[in-house]
Amino acid sequence: MNSTVVTSPTTDIHAALAQAARPQPSRWAQRLGWGLLLVVSGFALLGPWLISADPDRQDLLNALAPFGGHDWLGTDPYGRSMLARLAHGAQLSFLLALLTTLMAVVPGVLLGIVAAWRGGWLEKALVALADMIMALPGLLLVLLVIAFAPGHFIPLCLGLALALWVEFFRISRARSAVILQQPYIEATRMLGFGPGYILRRLLLPALAPTLLTLASFAMSTAIIGISTLSAISVGVRPPTAELGSMIVELLPYYAEAPALVLLPSLLIFLLVLALQLISGGRKS
Amino acid sequence: MLAAALFGSMLTPVSARTLNVVGPWEMTGVEASQSGYVFTRMQVAETLTAADSQGHIVPQLATAWQVSEDGLRWQFQLREGVSFHDGTPLTADIVAAELQRAHQGAGVLKQVPVKAIRAEGSQLVIELERVFAPLPAFLANYSTLILAPSSYTAEGKVSQIIATGPYQIQTMTLPLKLELKRNEHWWGGKVAIDSASYLAVGKGETRALMAQSGEADLVFSLLPVSVAALSRDPRLHTEVVTLPRTRMLKLNAGSALFSDVRVRQALSLALDRQGMARAILRNDKVAANQLFSPAMGAWHDSQLAPIPRDLDKARALLAEAGWQAGADGILQKDGQPFQVKLLTYSNLPELPVLATAIQAQLREVGIAVEVAVGNSSEIVSQHRDGVLQMALFARNFSLVPNPLGTLLQDYGPEGGDWGAMGWSDAQMQSSLQQLQVITDAARQAPLQQQINQTLQQQLPVIPVAWSELAVAASRQLEGVQVDPYELSYHLTSLRWKSEE
Amino acid sequence: MLRSSLWGTVLLGRALQAVLVSLLVGSLCFALMHSLPGDPAMRIAAGRYGPDAMSLQAAESVRQELGLEQPLLQQYGRALWQLAQFDLGHSLVTGRPILEELQVQLGHSLWLALASLLLSLLGIPLGIIAGARAGGWLDRGSQALAIGVRALPPFVLGLLLMWLFSIQLGWLPPAGFGSWQHLLLPALTLALGLAALSCRVSRDAMAEVQQSAYFTFARHKGLRGLTLIQRHGLRNAAIPVVAYLGVQAVYLIEGVVVVESIFAYPGIGHAMVHAIIARDVPMVQGTVLTLGLLFVLINLLIDAACRWIDPRQGGTR
Repeated sequence: MNSTVVTSPTTDIHAALAQAARPQPSRWAQRLGWGLLLVVSGFALLGPWLISADPDRQDLLNALAPFGGHDWLGTDPYGRSMLARLAHGAQLSFLLALLTTLMAVVPGVLLGIVAAWRGGWLEKALVALADMIMALPGLLLVLLVIAFAPGHFIPLCLGLALALWVEFFRISRARSAVILQQPYIEATRMLGFGPGYILRRLLLPALAPTLLTLASFAMSTAIIGISTLSAISVGVRPPTAELGSMIVELLPYYAEAPALVLLPSLLIFLLVLALQLISGGRKS
Repeated sequence: MLAAALFGSMLTPVSARTLNVVGPWEMTGVEASQSGYVFTRMQVAETLTAADSQGHIVPQLATAWQVSEDGLRWQFQLREGVSFHDGTPLTADIVAAELQRAHQGAGVLKQVPVKAIRAEGSQLVIELERVFAPLPAFLANYSTLILAPSSYTAEGKVSQIIATGPYQIQTMTLPLKLELKRNEHWWGGKVAIDSASYLAVGKGETRALMAQSGEADLVFSLLPVSVAALSRDPRLHTEVVTLPRTRMLKLNAGSALFSDVRVRQALSLALDRQGMARAILRNDKVAANQLFSPAMGAWHDSQLAPIPRDLDKARALLAEAGWQAGADGILQKDGQPFQVKLLTYSNLPELPVLATAIQAQLREVGIAVEVAVGNSSEIVSQHRDGVLQMALFARNFSLVPNPLGTLLQDYGPEGGDWGAMGWSDAQMQSSLQQLQVITDAARQAPLQQQINQTLQQQLPVIPVAWSELAVAASRQLEGVQVDPYELSYHLTSLRWKSEE
Repeated sequence: MLRSSLWGTVLLGRALQAVLVSLLVGSLCFALMHSLPGDPAMRIAAGRYGPDAMSLQAAESVRQELGLEQPLLQQYGRALWQLAQFDLGHSLVTGRPILEELQVQLGHSLWLALASLLLSLLGIPLGIIAGARAGGWLDRGSQALAIGVRALPPFVLGLLLMWLFSIQLGWLPPAGFGSWQHLLLPALTLALGLAALSCRVSRDAMAEVQQSAYFTFARHKGLRGLTLIQRHGLRNAAIPVVAYLGVQAVYLIEGVVVVESIFAYPGIGHAMVHAIIARDVPMVQGTVLTLGLLFVLINLLIDAACRWIDPRQGGTR
């Protein structure tokens, strides 16, 4: 019996996607990407320092103030400064998203490479595990992990990562299997280079662009995932500013102050766009 | 354009128009104790008694009732000529069996000291262990609705709703939807609207859009932010009524933090009730200056002034109680910071929002509050385990149209899940006991006021805001009545304007 | 002969996977739901009676009724035994048989999933055109649109669509269920998120096909435009796209929770979240099991589709 038991066809597309996304980004797109990333991450990293307003300070009588007043971006329904909340929110969200993505990418990629490298029963076992996890609804996993320590960040990231790692495992396994069969790898081995060298110099560089594209989508998935969890009240606790939960908090006011709901989404959009521009997009 | 015409034509209402009712409440099951309130509000099922808009108990399936001299034997005269939706007649035997079942179930009848329930001819007799004057009000609760014997399976579980109301169920898709048609043989005569539906829509934003789009004719529990927008819509009529329901902070008065009444008073003074009512609830009238809302009749004291926010007085009271500001601005006593966990839940979407506001307001007097949004059952289980510190919830005083039932449950000598914790007051206990015996309103009033005053001074719970029910109705509807006791949607008094 | 034995292996493999999924789901649900913090009897009582009528008394009667005070091992054994007999039991909250509830919900969920999948197919031609001109304005535009759609939580997207189609245009009912008009808006909300991804996947697949030797050869042969894409592009680009549809179908069925609740649509995702919150173990087990088996089934169908498109694909890779 061969590996069909546990191999799912999704590996095909990941392999195809991986090949397709080979990096030859046009220079202007990449520059634009770096520029955007600099602006967005600058806002997230330095914003909380530079903006003196307290993101949690409420002023109920100054609720939903318009743009351009004392608070540049107006205030939220509690009269808190939107600018300060966006800066603090961006910092926390990007950090959580980065952490979640790392927690998904590192084990996912390592296990994927190990599976492709070693093959045999180890590969079958790992693929079976990944398939099992995929067959369980992601939301169930997240809810279950969170339920052990509601309101804490680490279980939140862990739960999301538990649902996200499978994708990275599948793609790096499929891609590594293709690469490891290439003649040049065989040649490198014959020349006496060890697995560490092959991993660092040949395998990871070949995997990197695809992984970066996927990881940038995974970051937005993580932030949106947190917002979805906030919508069913298991996300971040008040009064913490976090982009996803801010969207949920501001949603009821969409008719009165539509810009408020869209601002956090805009930040997520810019971050993902920057990462995508840097990593992908092929010249014609 | 073509698509617009196509879709538009399919959605145009036909002459036999269905009344579409939308509310936030999902039906978790078919048992009366679970989803009975939807069945009674949509007037599918009926109870022995009902309440008018003032909270007075009025006849429904029972036409009259009387109590013996010693107050232990109640006789209810049942309405004649009532039949169930399947055509079978309503008898005293059926009613007795139904109420016995309700008494053993999870509904409010459990709180009544029932000795026996039985049928005597066309009368229903309830014998009590001790005097319990508010009994008729308990028979207006949805968990005591009367179903036909054919509603049950052989194992005694409810499988369908066959009742006596003016509407009967055509289809039921749990947990979201009911489709109803008129009961042509209702004892109250013929009603104007011949079919109706109920759809549970959990999201307030969606409910508002359903009202605006004309998809729903009667929408209950609008979000505070939706009300202003909908009231500007010329096709809609909006109405906001204050309910006998209060959003309150429960404190563990048995704990070191809150055993001192001065601390509880300081917390109350630190709250910006007017600000929360205006900015969050969008309704200045709901800022609660006492536990009992104006919808609670004689229990409410209309002479009381609003409680202004007074941070200086709050700080002074806290200092008197031994709390001193620490280096980080958080109060300290014996080296311990004033840190407290506030538990709330999100079934009511405004609660986490209010909790966040309260958190910021208490922080200004040096109290560090951690807000935990969890499941409503955690308040009950933490109360049981004695670990609860502070909780924010909305308590319904009209589950039984007479608030006494709820008060007995919440402020008895042991306290209650949704009321006092680690607090009891002898004078209040005696007033509660007397109210169970007295039926004369004039003699009840001073006792009710005394209870209100005690709660106001002692603050075992801190009232934050009264609850309101915001309703949007299509202008094509006539005769909309909003019942503050939420017993009925009064579909029977509605009619379409265009039909005239 | 070879072909049929191959299919036999595939079917056997998937059947084995189905059994494993059932066992895993059964055990995992039980273990996790019981090790979660919080008192199950309290949760169930709150789920049944709502906060207003929820009390300690109600919780205690629930505990007795359901035998929650029995030893855990005894409860676990009973749960697995029931599962082995295909008896999913009764919901602890509604008291009705799980199978009955699942039938209703699964039906609604499948309709929604099917409609969203069909609508999301619109992303594929867009992706193919974008991929044929990689780097062009359409490629850039569709990329920005895809990222934009993914940067909005589904409930925001849903509200935007409701506002547009129900209030401004008045074409569709904003929420509810029961007719095909009710299905369109929630399906569109989901489809946009899916189309964003399938558009990118098909774009990448197309761009790759274009760089392949056979495609270049065909171009040198003199084939141009649509004919070229039709003859040599589509079939080759189809495999990753079809395979991707399988992943999407799973996302659809489980990822619709928020969309279902905002559109008041009675699907299985909505039921699962409510069951988890209320600690309704049999219901959680039933919903998760259904979703897991559906995943296995979809993978089987995708296997078949891939083999049909590209018969060269054998069992081994």
